[in-house]
Amino acid sequence: MAVQDSSPTTWGPREDMRLLNADVPRVDGPLKVSGRARYTHDIRLPGMLWGKILCCPYPVAKPTLDFDRAQAVPGVRVVLPIEDGLRDGWTRRLGTPIAAVAADTPEAADDALAALNARYEEGDWAVNYDQAVAPDAPKVHEEGNIRHLQVDGDEAAAQGELDGCDAVVEAIYTLPVQFHACLETHGVVVDYRGEDEATIYASTQGTFTIAADAAQILGLPQNKVTVLVEHMGGGFGAKFGLDVPGRIACLLAKEARAPVHLMLSRADEFHTAGNRSGSTQYMKAGANADGKLKGLVARIWKFGGVNRGANPGQPYIYDVPTSYAEAMSILTHTDGSRAMRAPGHPQASFAIESVVDELAASLGLDPLEFRKKNLASPVYHRQLDRAAKEIGWAAHPNKLGPPAELPDRAVGIGFGVATWGAGGRPTCEVDVRIDQDGSVTSSVGTQDLGTGTRTYVASIVAEELGLPVSAVEPRIGDSRLGASVASGGSVTTPSLAPAVKDAAHKAREALFAELAELLGSNPRNLRAKDGVVFDVEESDKRMNWKEACACLAPAGIEARGTFQRGLAGNGVHGAQAAKVEVDTVTGELRVLKMVCVQDIGLPLNRLATRSQMNGGVIQALSYGLFEERVIDPWLGLGLNNGFEEYRIAGTKDIPEIVSIIDDEDRRDQVLGVGEPVVIPGQSAIANALFNACGVRIRDLPLTRDKIINGLTAL
Amino acid sequence: MKSFELVMPKTLDEAIAALPESGQPTERVRVLAGGQDLLGEMKESLVTPERVVNLKTVPGIEGHEPTAEGGLRIGALTRLIDLERDEGLQGSHPMLVEAAAAVATPQIRSMGTLGGNLCQRPRCFYYRNPHSPCLKKGGTECFSYGGLNKYNAILGGGPSYIVHPSDVAPALVSYDAVFTLLGPAGEREVPADSFFTLPSSGEVTRENVLAANEIVTAVTLPAGREAWKATYLKVRERDSFDFALSAVALALKMNGDLIEQARLTLGGVAPKPWRCTSTEELLVGRKIDEETCRLAGEDALRMAEPLEQNGYKVPMTQGLIRRALQALAS
Repeated sequence: MAVQDSSPTTWGPREDMRLLNADVPRVDGPLKVSGRARYTHDIRLPGMLWGKILCCPYPVAKPTLDFDRAQAVPGVRVVLPIEDGLRDGWTRRLGTPIAAVAADTPEAADDALAALNARYEEGDWAVNYDQAVAPDAPKVHEEGNIRHLQVDGDEAAAQGELDGCDAVVEAIYTLPVQFHACLETHGVVVDYRGEDEATIYASTQGTFTIAADAAQILGLPQNKVTVLVEHMGGGFGAKFGLDVPGRIACLLAKEARAPVHLMLSRADEFHTAGNRSGSTQYMKAGANADGKLKGLVARIWKFGGVNRGANPGQPYIYDVPTSYAEAMSILTHTDGSRAMRAPGHPQASFAIESVVDELAASLGLDPLEFRKKNLASPVYHRQLDRAAKEIGWAAHPNKLGPPAELPDRAVGIGFGVATWGAGGRPTCEVDVRIDQDGSVTSSVGTQDLGTGTRTYVASIVAEELGLPVSAVEPRIGDSRLGASVASGGSVTTPSLAPAVKDAAHKAREALFAELAELLGSNPRNLRAKDGVVFDVEESDKRMNWKEACACLAPAGIEARGTFQRGLAGNGVHGAQAAKVEVDTVTGELRVLKMVCVQDIGLPLNRLATRSQMNGGVIQALSYGLFEERVIDPWLGLGLNNGFEEYRIAGTKDIPEIVSIIDDEDRRDQVLGVGEPVVIPGQSAIANALFNACGVRIRDLPLTRDKIINGLTAL
Repeated sequence: MKSFELVMPKTLDEAIAALPESGQPTERVRVLAGGQDLLGEMKESLVTPERVVNLKTVPGIEGHEPTAEGGLRIGALTRLIDLERDEGLQGSHPMLVEAAAAVATPQIRSMGTLGGNLCQRPRCFYYRNPHSPCLKKGGTECFSYGGLNKYNAILGGGPSYIVHPSDVAPALVSYDAVFTLLGPAGEREVPADSFFTLPSSGEVTRENVLAANEIVTAVTLPAGREAWKATYLKVRERDSFDFALSAVALALKMNGDLIEQARLTLGGVAPKPWRCTSTEELLVGRKIDEETCRLAGEDALRMAEPLEQNGYKVPMTQGLIRRALQALAS
């Protein structure tokens, strides 16, 4: 039957919830831990070819390739030059794809790449700041390498304010380019056989961001291209659209008239799939002896390769009465930055949290109290206090810094705060279907980045219908299903969950309308709970779920839900604390414990929320301790293009993590917290390092060479 | 990857017969043990052998047994994880167990072998990058010297500045171990300290004296080392999985509070396991106290010549020496 009923205006009382605001194991957990979950990498189709790409290892070079020799390799079907990244035959950035092959086996594809026998004439390049701003620097952009100047505030006024401050800290903070390091590399499998339709299996953050471009390349109408995203292995902001491997796979499939599997190699993933922009930030900040920040002058250089890079500006979260910030992008001949989990925010956090910490230290003030004095929102105050309590701040003996005589193993604590928007938007269309046999399906085309989207697509409906999660079949990751947003900016949940709620609500109302007639009840008096539908006023009027659904017409019930603005929130805070131990004899830094306190409105799934918080803490820790793109500026070669040299945190590097959902946030709205939880971790660790041993490191990562050098210089 | 012939010998003689006749360096044939380094090198086309000789099909070259002289002979194909988990060795030769346990990850240690660990190739950025024609690969320049050299050598460098990547090797040098090398003419015994070469004294594209027609078959620890105190300490950038920024293999024969004999070998700081003979002599007759720690650290790094970005290895290594002495004092 068609459903016309009203939309919900509330998620309902938290105390009545069984599945929402509760720990619900993710529905695809068993598939993932047992290896049965099928990722794009795992797709195997009859007659499928293996696509591979050759990327130029130099920033600016003119390649010469032997296509005939590659074409002659046994098993090779297609060899294509890729020229859209070239200008007059020259590459413009490190890692530019220059050729692609499709072959019967991955080994034959590799052999064909080798047979291309690439030779490179090397040009002039700029891959770092010094090279990019040199007077005779080769130009990345025809208008020059220093671009996109933005100015905010009055520099003279800010400088004047600084002149009157009791303490001023002037320093430069640097963050390297970091990679998304998705465990599943970028790529697609294009199932096209020269006929009038195609299916694309994609590792993507946007089921609906692929088909238009793919259709255009394949010469098909868009409605003949289906995109499937059953499971995907990490995105973090780098996987939107058809992208480089998708475009090339479509070209190869079209030429071969056969399906093509094309996932980037790990090495190529590092230089042609995006990155988090690097940043250098000059900060001159002043405060008075009472601990109030007075003025700030900031200059921000963003390193986004051929792109702009990201930084939300300074003083970021802190209240500074008079501030001036200017920002500009320094272009280099390297892969362009992309959105990465809270674009620009971790960079801004590190500079401001460090300078705030340095000011507190120079004024001899408690760094926790100093922060609270300069943060207006009471939410930050309660969250910082909670983080401080969990990390053991009250009992910490060295709040103002390390003792004059350093112990062999020094312990320190540091803090940082976060902010994010995370609002919802109207796009999603969710269909909930109840069949005559009682089966329930919740369908929407959304992708699940591994955050638990699939689980709440089922659990919101199960909550509404009084059923266990297992009684609702979630169908996602298919462009033939209802529209959904791409997963960027933590918007998926606030955009999608209200639409799921709306569909579930409408389906329940439709069901109650049918049953009310049958039972002779007022539909307002019906409830669905524990697998039973009953009348709250007349207890003999009750049916179990299967009996109730058996009364439906053969078509069952189908309800479509859309975005409900009142159910989605916007704006979160967040506070983190880190406790570290420094071996002052060897320079070894170990993080002992991290605390993450996060407001989220109504937590749809507390277990998944804490899991996402843990993940944010780990990614920030890894950024703070290890991660850094290394390019030799003279040879122009990327030097850490694998997980041995590009270090991400492993099990032995990860401390005790305490993730606390801030339940004092009573908003009856859902929000996303993928981004805020990754923002302040590295800042808190750097501050904890200083608190432990007095070594202030202003350039991430906090590697042991810098720590032992700092200790030696004390 | 280039196609190659995989030889699966049943005996060591068959394995030797599959190697080149001449001992001269060659790219054509490679010996496969655990494969944890070789396969990576082949995938990156750093080596492109025509033939790979798989020692895993040869029985009898793993495990360990006492020698007639009271020492301990360990087969080269013994897996690192088996050394790490050997309770007897934990008691008798803790430095070897600690060194084995410090290698890479449990997954790699469960494949990697003792002999393979000793013969692995360097990890230098420029050696591992397939596009940089560095000295180690037969090129003309050591790019680390004027390039990115944070991880490179502070001792014994030039003309190549790689550091030897093995954790086990410094421990074996400090145990005065002897390696057994088998070739067409039979076995020869080489002290651990003489097995490894410096780029200035040996072939710059190699790190040891093993000839192309030889295989390391065993490592023998001399008698009496059970009575020594010994430890292997390692600082790495990432605790979960990393090669050494600096490592110390220290073995002391104590007489009451006094050091009677000492062996000190450094890892991660030189193109070979770096034996500190003068420091060993300095330690003899001393108590382990603050001054001994300071003097030993100063002496061991006296000859250090850091490059632009690796000066930190000096205080870090001195700190490790201090930690090792303190550990053995308690």
